[in-house]
This record gives sequence, structure tokens and C-alpha cells, in this order.
Amino acid sequence: MSEDKTKISRRDFFRGAAMGVLGGTALGMGLFSYSPWSKEYLPKVGRKLADIGTCKSVKVTNISETSWFENAVLMGDIKGAGGLLVNQYSYNWPPFGDGTGLGKGTYESGVTKIRKFLPNNLEEAWAIAEKLAVHPENAGGFACLVELEELDGTKRKFLLDSGWSYKWMDECFKREGIDQMLKRREIEAIIVTHEHFDHFWGIPVTYKYDPTITTYIPEGFYPEGMQYLKDAGHRGQLIKVKPGLNPIIPGLATFVFAVPIICRVYGEQSIYANVKDHGLVSITGCCHQGIIQFAETAFKEVKYENDQLYGIYGGLHISPFEDWDPKYDDLVLSLGKYGFKKIGCNHCTGLLCAKKFVEGGYPVIKGTARYRTKETNYLGNGDKIGFGIEV
Amino acid sequence: MERFGVGYLEERKLVERWPQPIPAIVALVLTLVVFYATWWIFQDPRGWMRMYTPYVGYMYTRWWLIMLIWMVYIFNYWPFKRSWLENTHPIIKGVVLTAISVVILLVLIKGFFESLLGNYGIAYFNPGNLMKLPKMTEFFALEYASLACLMFAAIASWLSPAWVVACEEVPWQDMNQPGKGISILVMTFFLSTLVFFMTMHSHMGILYYPWQYFTSIAPPYWEQFANTVSGNFHVSWIMCCTVTVWLVETIWERFPFKLIQTNWLRRVVAFFGIIAIAWGMHFFLYFAQELTWGPAIRGTRLINAPDWRWLHVGEMAVFFLVPALFLNFYCGNWPRRFSLPVNVLVRTAITIAAAILLYIFYYATSHDFLGTQKGFMHEQQFPMIPTIWLINIWLAHHWFMDNWPAWKMVPKTADEIAQDHAAAQAKVAEIRWNPALGWGLGVGAVCGVAFYFIVLSILPWAYRSITVIK
Repeated sequence: MSEDKTKISRRDFFRGAAMGVLGGTALGMGLFSYSPWSKEYLPKVGRKLADIGTCKSVKVTNISETSWFENAVLMGDIKGAGGLLVNQYSYNWPPFGDGTGLGKGTYESGVTKIRKFLPNNLEEAWAIAEKLAVHPENAGGFACLVELEELDGTKRKFLLDSGWSYKWMDECFKREGIDQMLKRREIEAIIVTHEHFDHFWGIPVTYKYDPTITTYIPEGFYPEGMQYLKDAGHRGQLIKVKPGLNPIIPGLATFVFAVPIICRVYGEQSIYANVKDHGLVSITGCCHQGIIQFAETAFKEVKYENDQLYGIYGGLHISPFEDWDPKYDDLVLSLGKYGFKKIGCNHCTGLLCAKKFVEGGYPVIKGTARYRTKETNYLGNGDKIGFGIEV
Repeated sequence: MERFGVGYLEERKLVERWPQPIPAIVALVLTLVVFYATWWIFQDPRGWMRMYTPYVGYMYTRWWLIMLIWMVYIFNYWPFKRSWLENTHPIIKGVVLTAISVVILLVLIKGFFESLLGNYGIAYFNPGNLMKLPKMTEFFALEYASLACLMFAAIASWLSPAWVVACEEVPWQDMNQPGKGISILVMTFFLSTLVFFMTMHSHMGILYYPWQYFTSIAPPYWEQFANTVSGNFHVSWIMCCTVTVWLVETIWERFPFKLIQTNWLRRVVAFFGIIAIAWGMHFFLYFAQELTWGPAIRGTRLINAPDWRWLHVGEMAVFFLVPALFLNFYCGNWPRRFSLPVNVLVRTAITIAAAILLYIFYYATSHDFLGTQKGFMHEQQFPMIPTIWLINIWLAHHWFMDNWPAWKMVPKTADEIAQDHAAAQAKVAEIRWNPALGWGLGVGAVCGVAFYFIVLSILPWAYRSITVIK
């Protein structure tokens, strides 16, 4: 009898214990997880303060920020091809048009039509693309020239991206004298920010003038992109940059973020320039990692002048297609606390976002809205911005 | 009196054609084949219809889930007669009922949301009306309208089953179909609308420039608490509610709420208890991300953004639902031999372990076969789409096809039904207050709290030790 009672008691104990474990765990989850005390468990943020050196000044010339000319046309193509996750090489956009129509192309079938013309006969290559590709007239491109002055006065030049349309980019290169700089080997490297069509597919235009130029790409390029570098006629050094900090010359480094990006692209590279007595300048292509993430990464990783985040130039990838989301407002509302002194935004920042920056009182450097740039809130095509130097 | 499918799920006996685990494996393989084939046809960005744009496919996935719930849980298979459900071949049942769910889905999206609400009430449900906005593209008009619909779906996917599971269909439980179904549908749709306006409408209100101060609360009231103006904060806890409802219904067998004998009290406690458990999950899964990826930073994109972290809470929660449903549908809700609380504890532990493994497996491999990209965070990728798509297929297979072919459906006899009820009541009756139970409860609660803090301590280390994405 007493044995039976013990047995029953043990069973009851386990029943109670099972309920208690579930209840206790749920209680902890509910009461502690979002309480002020939970912050004690979070990892402490340490600063690595890597020294990338300093430079005297940085000047950026916007070669082209108009990646495409009609947003509705681009988005119509994206919609027709199946949305934002579709592989960019299958869109049948130029220069990889194969005549099969929207969303049905491949890199190989497209490049086969133009390979023999790369990089020296781009007029012929683009003429073929115009016949076989979807909406070739809509292609523009993003590229800028970064001129850095070292502390001893030496000037160093880097190209950031090479745009998209061969025709448009060649015109822009000529307009800004980039073609001659490349021919004279004044530009020591091209830094490709990421594999997207509007930043990378115009690479033969750069190689047309200097096929030996050192090329930095972020790790994460797909096989089609790697093959395109060869097909485009590159004969110089190719440096595949791993995620993290990559110092290039005193005062200038790139940082690669291992991030997945729309249209099946992976990895993004952006520039940090540390300007003497001013602070850190961020120069971006699309900044898919987010400008605040880029600023936070700088805070954790890099030592910079006066501990000041000084300037921004480039696409900030907030509303690239003039779309919106409340999280973009999070960015607009938060950017102010980082204290940037000069913001030159364009490209995928989004015109609405630039407008909100201006309305928010941020130090946006206005442009001249020339050469098909749509509004002065953007630092537009042909405009320049200086950090540590007046332009 | 025709009963249609009232009580059909409880009163059917699914007889395994082969010893376990063969039926579970057959069901898994079969449903995965269907999953992949339909994924390729409807969703895959490399496939045929490419609905994973992402929001269009996301919206249809979420609403299809609700259609299945409506047909089975709210309308009890009405207008199909009981004899048809019991005597028709599972393949025919599966095809007919699935086709009907899709027709209702299209009528709801195109007819109710787009045409009725979108033309006569709220413009953002209709892509055509959104196109009137300056600079709006057709693509984003469709995406925004789909987003609004799917946010509504998130709420409906919680409240529709909650009214049956927690509130036990009250006060219409004794009503005949379709009156009962219509009543519950109207009630849950009304509540969903209220919750939508209080949680999601402000998100839509600040989606358009300038902020729609006069039609929605902008900035929304949750901004400071949630560290974001995004409605994903609400998507998070609402998805946790959805998952908790189904955990309670399946592997918890409505425990612990079924221990309450007073009807009204049990229903009220169950409804709000589910919300309370969901909020615990909501906070914990957010905290778990902070422990592994560091504190969220407002204004950032991708993995550190608070809005994405909240959304990911909902996504993580659905990873728990997948093994829970598999355990219930295909493994006979194993184990059943212990007391109810111990069974529930063991099943919960299995579900948590399986969910963690599934999560790792998903992020380590899904980019190789779903047409997506690797990475925890991609602004246009939502793991809830494939996970809910798989769940939908399982629901259709379990509810419409009686787990065919590895199981055979045999209606239970009246004696068997009575025995089941008696056994269930006996399980509840076992749990009576006594000192041993009290001691167990106390010791268990301490162990539960200790377990929680141990998890907090080892999470960062565990995350560092496992390379999920190479």
C-alpha cells in the first residue's frame, strides 16, 4: 500500500515537474528577454581601430549615376522576368541579349554574340546588343573617379565601377576625360563594388582604354561574372577581396561585406578614405550593406581622424526603384546622430530619400542636374565633391 | 441531420499500412516531391510562374493556408457530406478540395481585397489604384498591395484557428453548418480587421509620401518600444501566436488549458494564454538574435536592422511549427505512453531540437535548390514562404487526403470514439492537485528558469561553434 503511494507520488512529482519546466522556461522567456537587465548578456562592442593611414584630401567626380533612365521600364522588365530574385544574366538585358526575350537569356548565349568584339570594338558589340536585348535604350550605368591626395601632395586615381551601357559609359568617360586618363595609365586600379549589371557590365569600356588595369572585385562573384572579366579582355592583375578590411594605399581602404543582393548577386565592396584633420569619408557604389552599417563597421574596425564620420558619396541603396518601406524611415530618422558633415548622394539613394534628407536638415550637397540626372538633390552626372578640398 | 465534416478529424482512424517509420518516411518523401514540383511551377525565381517576386507568392502562400483552415476548421468541410468524405478516394478528395481552396483563394484576393476593399474602401489593397500615385511602378503597386493583403493574412492565420482551438467555437458550437462557419468567419474576420488597423495600417500609412498623418497614426505608437516604425514588430508576435495556436492544438493536445474545468474560464485563459506564450517567444527569439548577431542598430539594413530582426522572429517561429506538425500528422503525436504533461514536454523538446536542425539545414542548403541566395538576411527573401508552402501541402495531405498512401482511413466506431474520449478525460483527471505535484511544479519551474538562463549563456558560444553558412 505504502509502495503504491510512493509510486503515485513519484508520478505526480514528474507530472508537476514537466509542467513546471515548461512554465518556468516560458516565464523566463517572457519576463527577462526584453527587459533592461537582458542587456547585460549582450556582447560588449570593442573597437579594433585598424590604422589605414591618412590622406590630405579626396575628390570624387561623378562620371555617371544614372544607372537606368526610366524606372518604370526597368521595373516592368523585372516584373515580367519574375521579380527581384531572378538571376540578372537571364533578363536578356544588354549586352547579353540573345533575342529570346525577357527572362529567357543566359550569360553564355548572350556573350557569344559579342565576345569577339570585346573590348576594342564596343560600338559593334553594342549595336548587336541593341538588336537582341531587351530595352537597351534604358541602360546607363554607375561610375565615379576617386582622386586622393597623399600627405606629400602625390595624387592617386581610382575608378569606382564601370557602369552598364557601353555606349553611354563611353560618352561619359569621354566627357570627363576618363578615357585619356586610362590610356595614360593615370588611373591605377578599378574597384568594382559588386556584380550588378549597372556597375559591372560596362567593364569592357574601361578595358578598352586600359586592359591591364588592376581590378579589385569583392569575393562572391558568380561564375558568369568571373568569365565576363576574361571575356571583356582584362589582362591585368585581378584581386579578389575577402570580406573585411582591405587597405590599398595610405588613407584609403575598401571593406567587403558578404551580403546577398537582389537579382542574384553576392558581396559588396565600398571605400573608406581617412582625410587628415577632417575624418572618415565613405564612398559607395550601391551600399547594399546600408550606410549606417557601413558607418557602424567603421566605428568598430577603423581608426579615423577626430573620430569623426565626415562625408558620404555615392548610392546609398535606400529606395533604388523609388519604392519605399518604413524601415527606410528608420534610416532617415537615425542618420542624423552619426554627424556626417557632407553628403553627396545619388543613384540608388532614391529621389524621395534625398528629398527626405534635405527636409530633415542633413548637409546634402546639391548637384546641377545635368547630363540626364533628374534632380538637384542628387550630386549628378558631371558634378564633383571634395572632402578636405574645395571643388 | 447531415453532419458534413463536423468531428471528422477526431472520428477518423488512420491505419498505417506498414510499421513505422516507413509511413512517416513515405509521407515525407511524397510531400517533399510535391513541394518541390509545385515550388518550381509557382514560386521558384528560375521556374515557370515565378511568383516569388517576393510579395505576390508570399501573399498567396499565406492566404492559401487560411483557406485550408477555413474549409476544415471553420466550415468542417461543408458542403461536402460525411459519406463523401468517408467513401471517396483520397486522391479525388485531395484534388477536389485543393481546387476549391484555390478558387476561394482567388475570389478572396481578386474579389474581396482587390475589387471590393481596394475600390470602395482602402486604396492600398488595389494595385490599380496605387498606380495613380506619382512615380509608382506597376511592379511595386502589385508588391505593396500584396504586402497589405499578406499582413492581413498574418492576423487571420492566428485568429481563425484560435477561435476554434481556444474559444471552442463559442457561442456557435452547437449550430449547424454553414451557419456556424459563417458566424465564426465573420467574427474572426471582424477581429482581424480591428487588429489590422491597430497594428499594420500605420505601416501602410508611412509607406507613402508624405506620411499619411490624417488616415493613420504616424509615426506609429510602437516606434520607441520596438526601435522601428516598421509593422514587422507586430508580424513577429502575431506569427508567434499562429505558431502557438497550432502547438497547443497538435503536440500539446490543448494542454495546459484543458485542465481548467470551467468552460468560460478555460476559453478565456486559452485565448489570452496563447497570446502570453507567443509574446514570450516573440521576446526570446529577438533576444536570441541579439545574443548571436549583436545588438540591433536602428537604420541599418540587413541582419542588424530591428525591423528585420522582428520579422525573423516570426520566421524562426515557423521553423518550430514544421516539426510539430510532422510529429502530429505523421508520427502519431509520439510519445503517448507517459502522462499528458510529460508527453507534452518530450514532444516540445523534440520539436525544439528538430526546429534548430531544420533551421541550420535550411540556411546551409536552401540556396542550392530553392533558387534563392545564401545568407540569413536578404531583403527580398522570406523563409516563411517555403516553410508555409510545405505546411500547406501537409495540411492538404493530412486533412484532405487522410495521409494517403501510407495510411488508410477507417471511420471509428461509436465505441472507439467513446473510448478515445474516456482516455482523454482520464489523462486530464490524472492531474490533480497534491503535494507531490506541487513539489514537482516548484522544482520544475526552477529548472525551467535555470534552463532558460543556461540557454542564454551557451547561445553565443553555440552560434560561434557552428558554421551554418560557408
